[in-house]
Amino acid sequence: MRSAKLSFLFGVALTCALAQVAVGQIKIPYETYKLPNGLTVILSVDKTTPTVAVNIWYHVGSKNEMPGRTGFAHLFEHVMFTGSGHVPYGLHDKLTEGVGGGNNGSTTNDRTNYYETIPSNYLESALWLESDRMGYLLDTLNLDKLKAQRDVVKNERRQSYDNQPYGRVSEIFSAAMYPKSHPYSWPVIGSMTDLSAASEEDVKAFFRLYYAPNNATLAVVGDFDPKQAKEWIQKYFNDLPKGQNVERPNVPAAKLTASKRLVFEDRVQVPRLYIQWPTVGTHDDHGLGMMSLILTGSRTARLTKALVYDSQLASQVFAFQNSAEDVGVFQIVVIPRPEHSLTEVEAAVDQVLQKFISEGPTSDELQRAKSGLELNFLRGLESNLGKANQLLSGAVFFGNPGQYSVDYQQILATTTAEVKQLATRYLLGPRIVLSVVPKGKKDQASKAAESETVTMLLPKSRGGRS
Amino acid sequence: MRQHNRLVAFVAAVVIVLANVAVLAQQTLDRTKVPPSGPTPVLHVPTWTKTQLANGATLILSERHTLPLVSFSITFVGGANQFEPADRRGVAAMTASMLTEGTKTRTGDQLSDALQLLGTTVNAGVGAEEGSVSFVSTTKNFDATLAILSDMMLNSVFPADALERLRGRTLVNLTQAKDQPVIVGAQVFAKVLYGDAHPYGQRTTETSVKAITRDDIVNFQKSYYQPGRAIITVVGDVSPGKVKGSIEKALTAWTKGGEKPSFDYPKLPELQPAKIYLIDKPGAAQSVVNIGLPGPPRNTPDYFALQVLNTILGGQFQSRLNANIREQKGYSYGVNSGFNYGKGPGAFRAGGSIFTDKTDAALIEFMKELKGIVGEKPITDEEIKTAKESLIQGLPQRFASVTAISGAITTLAFQGLPDDYYQTYADKVSAVTKDDLLRVAKRYIDLGHLAIVIVGDRAKVETALKATEIAPVTMLDIEGNPAAP
Repeated sequence: MRSAKLSFLFGVALTCALAQVAVGQIKIPYETYKLPNGLTVILSVDKTTPTVAVNIWYHVGSKNEMPGRTGFAHLFEHVMFTGSGHVPYGLHDKLTEGVGGGNNGSTTNDRTNYYETIPSNYLESALWLESDRMGYLLDTLNLDKLKAQRDVVKNERRQSYDNQPYGRVSEIFSAAMYPKSHPYSWPVIGSMTDLSAASEEDVKAFFRLYYAPNNATLAVVGDFDPKQAKEWIQKYFNDLPKGQNVERPNVPAAKLTASKRLVFEDRVQVPRLYIQWPTVGTHDDHGLGMMSLILTGSRTARLTKALVYDSQLASQVFAFQNSAEDVGVFQIVVIPRPEHSLTEVEAAVDQVLQKFISEGPTSDELQRAKSGLELNFLRGLESNLGKANQLLSGAVFFGNPGQYSVDYQQILATTTAEVKQLATRYLLGPRIVLSVVPKGKKDQASKAAESETVTMLLPKSRGGRS
Repeated sequence: MRQHNRLVAFVAAVVIVLANVAVLAQQTLDRTKVPPSGPTPVLHVPTWTKTQLANGATLILSERHTLPLVSFSITFVGGANQFEPADRRGVAAMTASMLTEGTKTRTGDQLSDALQLLGTTVNAGVGAEEGSVSFVSTTKNFDATLAILSDMMLNSVFPADALERLRGRTLVNLTQAKDQPVIVGAQVFAKVLYGDAHPYGQRTTETSVKAITRDDIVNFQKSYYQPGRAIITVVGDVSPGKVKGSIEKALTAWTKGGEKPSFDYPKLPELQPAKIYLIDKPGAAQSVVNIGLPGPPRNTPDYFALQVLNTILGGQFQSRLNANIREQKGYSYGVNSGFNYGKGPGAFRAGGSIFTDKTDAALIEFMKELKGIVGEKPITDEEIKTAKESLIQGLPQRFASVTAISGAITTLAFQGLPDDYYQTYADKVSAVTKDDLLRVAKRYIDLGHLAIVIVGDRAKVETALKATEIAPVTMLDIEGNPAAP
């Protein structure tokens, strides 16, 4: 993310909680069309508040990078705010936060987005800003700008990973879950060594390929006149040249051939247990989202009830399905109570899972898990930015801005038999068990004797501190 | 690698051809011209009614029928600082958590299942100066959710075993907080500024959590959740005639009692000459920096001038602090500043997480910007114009959702601000002058008495910090007590 102060995570690693639904007659009205240069446009009018969200998704993320050149997608997210051909540095902020709005960007494995939230009378300038950096970013990009943003990214890494307790867990899992050179095996923020080694030409080539209108989808959501908006979009985007066709990487499914057991020493006092299975991505994740709610979504959810309330082995437990475009993972995190070991905790988790796999959820459990959908969907409609991200996610990953409605119906249609089947298919398969323990306390790991120390998985070139 | 380079060359060639085409098409459009803004949208401040229930609670109703959603909250004036004994810090938050643990007629599990079926949760919490019990529901589930909220607030039974479980969890949370440099920094900063005798300097500790008894919880519930200090705010798809009846019915058992507390805080400790307080965090990749001193309460007449001032100094991305320390120098992922207004003397604070090796260099820049804002680098007309625009034009965003509207209206009642606050907001911001800004900067950013609290790797930063000669360095432990020198 460009800036931490607005930590919206919309659209990041879409879980089923975000891919929501049309309730009864309430839908997100929208129209969509394409410019000759391939730019997909989505317009959705909502006059409730005199504000507009302009949001562009580029279908490029860290998975499009090459090993040895990781971190480019995210570095661009920063560079895109440093001015472009006709926009001097600083003007972007002035025309957004300087007029009572905001801006930010975010990068995932799959896509990079940029948005402005503005009073509705600043729509034209927001479109001008976005079109200029799509078309003319390289006019003003030089090595000094790159170096400056590399330093900021290094600080982002220090703040979000290195100086955070348990902050390195996600990259440990990325490296352990996928074979080397698999597009999801490196962290989105990339290697600081790779970033330092990147030449100006490397970076420019990346931009030319991926930041073309044919690889972008623009959404305008909020209080505006669609006829006027179309004229402006035509005016500012139509003459931007179409780029090369972007070949989507062929991403092999995540497959663990054997379970792994890892231990990582961190500057923490309370150990944590993480269990992760490879599952599936955005296209087939609804039942897995339901499963996470049935396991830890409420006080009476299976794992929560057993570990936090009944046996009180744990202080907290979370389960979630994390879906990317091509792959997904299901993860369970347990924070133990001090008197209990991670080995004990893991055994208790497995006991609950075994029972769940063999009997599946009850219809009451599934019904409760589905009950929150409607309210979540309605609340999502209150945010221009949130709606834009829903429409964009459907358009970019499914070719259908209205995918949210399909998802909603599919979630509602999930059956107990399907959830049971998913539990059997995924939770019985190979998995990674990661114990994060205090420095010098590797013996606190779950089944410590069988656990491999994680430094092996983090070569210095990946995520080392500069 | 080689393949990658070939691709670069090929792409470059294509782009040159296409760029020429773009130049031709562009002739009619002058991209150097910044598109003008349209006419400023008319500000529509939501309307509301304010009445009193028979039990003394204030009831605020604001209709919004765009979606079948309702936000309901009961805000209590006064919080942990007013109602917690100093040796029982944490009892307020724990009582709020205990409201989910069962009532005379429902177990904790039954409450949870019933709410999950309604698609929502009831949130209860008590902060430093206010508490609340609230939910957002669909219109059709409003009455049923309200009935559960009422049951939780009025009929909780506080099982002893639930208290032990929550205590255990709170202790784990407190242990984990010690590993979070940002939390440690904020806690020590508060302690340095306000001391142990002032509620602003106190916090929940292992000792206070261990001391809390079930009687403490039961008594806190009885004395705290009283209608005499309650503001009930309902925003959304409701009809005023009907909803008042629903609320009175659901809260029949909630009889008169309680009053708004006074917010008399003890005298502040005497201001100390500027000092650097260093908390050692061996191996830390960043130093967490907090710089500041006690500031004015929310009801200060200088509020609008301070808002404009802080927008220029550290309220935004392009504010002076972030523009310098992040964007120009690259020392941080982001720094900022703010006034933490409360009923009492909330802190002025500037800070952020700084790359360990640049801790001293960043501190020099922080001080340069603070000196700048109090006069060395005069505030420009352009800065003032942008800051005012930003504040004024950001107003509609405060009414973008039922919960946002609820917060915007409740704040007025809580802070005792006038009902036309938002209608007159633009005038008040516009009226701030350059002289006002300089006056409030000098008054509230007292350079001679800043506390500079840094959580970082002592071995790497101490000598460099001393060499800046900004202020003497004192070592503290993570509790904010003197550490071995």
